[in-house]
Amino acid sequence: MKIKILLSLSALGLATITYAQDTAPSPLQISGSVDTYYKYDFNKAGNIKTYFANEQNSISLGMIDLALKKTTGKASFVGELSFGPRGQAQSIPNANGVYDETTNSFHIQNLYVSYAFTEKFSMTAGYMGTFVGYEVISPTANFNYSTSYLFGSGPFQNAGIKASYTFSDKVSLMAGLFNDWNVYQDFNGVSHIGAQLTISPVEGWTAYLNVLSGKSAGAAGTGTILDLTTAYQITEKFKLGLNAADYTISDDNGGYAGVAIYPQYSFTPSFALGLRGEGFKIKGVGAAPEATVTSLTLSGNIKSGGLTFIPEIRFDDDKDFSQSFMKNGLGIKSASQFSLAAVYSF
Amino acid sequence: MKFISIFLLLLLSFSFCDAQNELLGVDEQGKFIYYELVEINGMPSAQLSEKVTDFLKKTFKDVKQKEVHGDSSFMAVGKLVINKTVLVMSHPSGEISYHFRAEVKDGKYRFWLSNFNFIPYYRDRYGNFVAATHKGTPLENNPGKLNAVQWREYQIQAAQYAHHFAQSFKDYMIGKTETPNDRLERTIVKKNW
Repeated sequence: MKIKILLSLSALGLATITYAQDTAPSPLQISGSVDTYYKYDFNKAGNIKTYFANEQNSISLGMIDLALKKTTGKASFVGELSFGPRGQAQSIPNANGVYDETTNSFHIQNLYVSYAFTEKFSMTAGYMGTFVGYEVISPTANFNYSTSYLFGSGPFQNAGIKASYTFSDKVSLMAGLFNDWNVYQDFNGVSHIGAQLTISPVEGWTAYLNVLSGKSAGAAGTGTILDLTTAYQITEKFKLGLNAADYTISDDNGGYAGVAIYPQYSFTPSFALGLRGEGFKIKGVGAAPEATVTSLTLSGNIKSGGLTFIPEIRFDDDKDFSQSFMKNGLGIKSASQFSLAAVYSF
Repeated sequence: MKFISIFLLLLLSFSFCDAQNELLGVDEQGKFIYYELVEINGMPSAQLSEKVTDFLKKTFKDVKQKEVHGDSSFMAVGKLVINKTVLVMSHPSGEISYHFRAEVKDGKYRFWLSNFNFIPYYRDRYGNFVAATHKGTPLENNPGKLNAVQWREYQIQAAQYAHHFAQSFKDYMIGKTETPNDRLERTIVKKNW
């Protein structure tokens, strides 16, 4: 019995790396990630509450993320579930459409089906990660572990139906109809239109021009977000990313605007350093004043196989007290923190 | 007895794997290369050129012809996708791009695969595996201690693929390999009785 268990465990530990044969059928892809972190705020308070990495002086959980993908002929599906603070109440609504950890959750990050009518034209329907913005929910696809104000303010997911057409290697266009931001069901009808123009002017440089507009259920006005997300791999080692966005709710009902820049340098395939500098403005509603925040984050990526350690130091300046930074029970304008995250992807 | 048999089977499997763990040779610049010179007595260069062009069009879907110099020199770029598998779990983890060059003369041809670069994949916001960068890392580079084991696997996979590619190419040049179009030809089953 013991030998059987040992053999089973040995088999489980055997990971193989092979090249995909041209003639092999597309297998069911199973992948995912697990992440955990420690954060220490130098003001000894739970400051810098941008999404994730928000718990002070605690070894805390991110999420376990599990994704399935299967392609059969021209049809494919993706189903991605997540469990844990980062993958539940901090990033996806529960069954009632609110962000509440205490009630049941659907745990869904992605749930969609896609059909490629031709090599250039495809349609996709379901609940998808948003096409807007530079950063994403999954820690495996971000360089920094903490996230930007732009990320936290924009949409996380968009349920809808979209069509994509590739004009050439350099230009493609997506357009679609979507629900309100981050909801499974739209109570005021399918109310948003969105589009993404993708341009690749030179090899290594891709720019996404995004627009998403519509009136959400109960909203004071029509919200329109214009977003530019771009990244340029300038050399083998140096990459520069940029995100700029403007969100306006009609009839002077506020919104936000901001710019974030992401220079990253890979010293070796196992070690890279990256900086994120961000300026962010919260638009006032009516006569209310604007508020601005600036943030600087330096992160390392140390990789070994599927494991990535992300040590990170971050400095935020909140001159208009919009972020409620605290020290010794008093409000202050600046906050800084150190965090160390471990992210394993499989 | 049963466990001894399983143990021996596993041992044999590992030995077989080890036999395939050869790396590619390196050229004068220290870059990985697979090179072969093949003689086909009596076959004119025009016919060989035609076969090279046909091979690049029909055989490997990820190989694209980029340059032709005269009727005798050909260059193409290709890639092999690396899959990571743990039991039933499998997904692409990266790709290795390469250059393929072939030159023909009356009665002989030579070809080589070189410029092997690794590009890692990551899972994007929609759950698809896509290239993390457009500029790959040369496969000869030292990845450091942390990624040494995985990197060697990539080098071994590149070598195995190069041998497989070379064999397919040589078979095609002597008319031994069926094309995808040939495979699509159907046998007509008649129901006369």
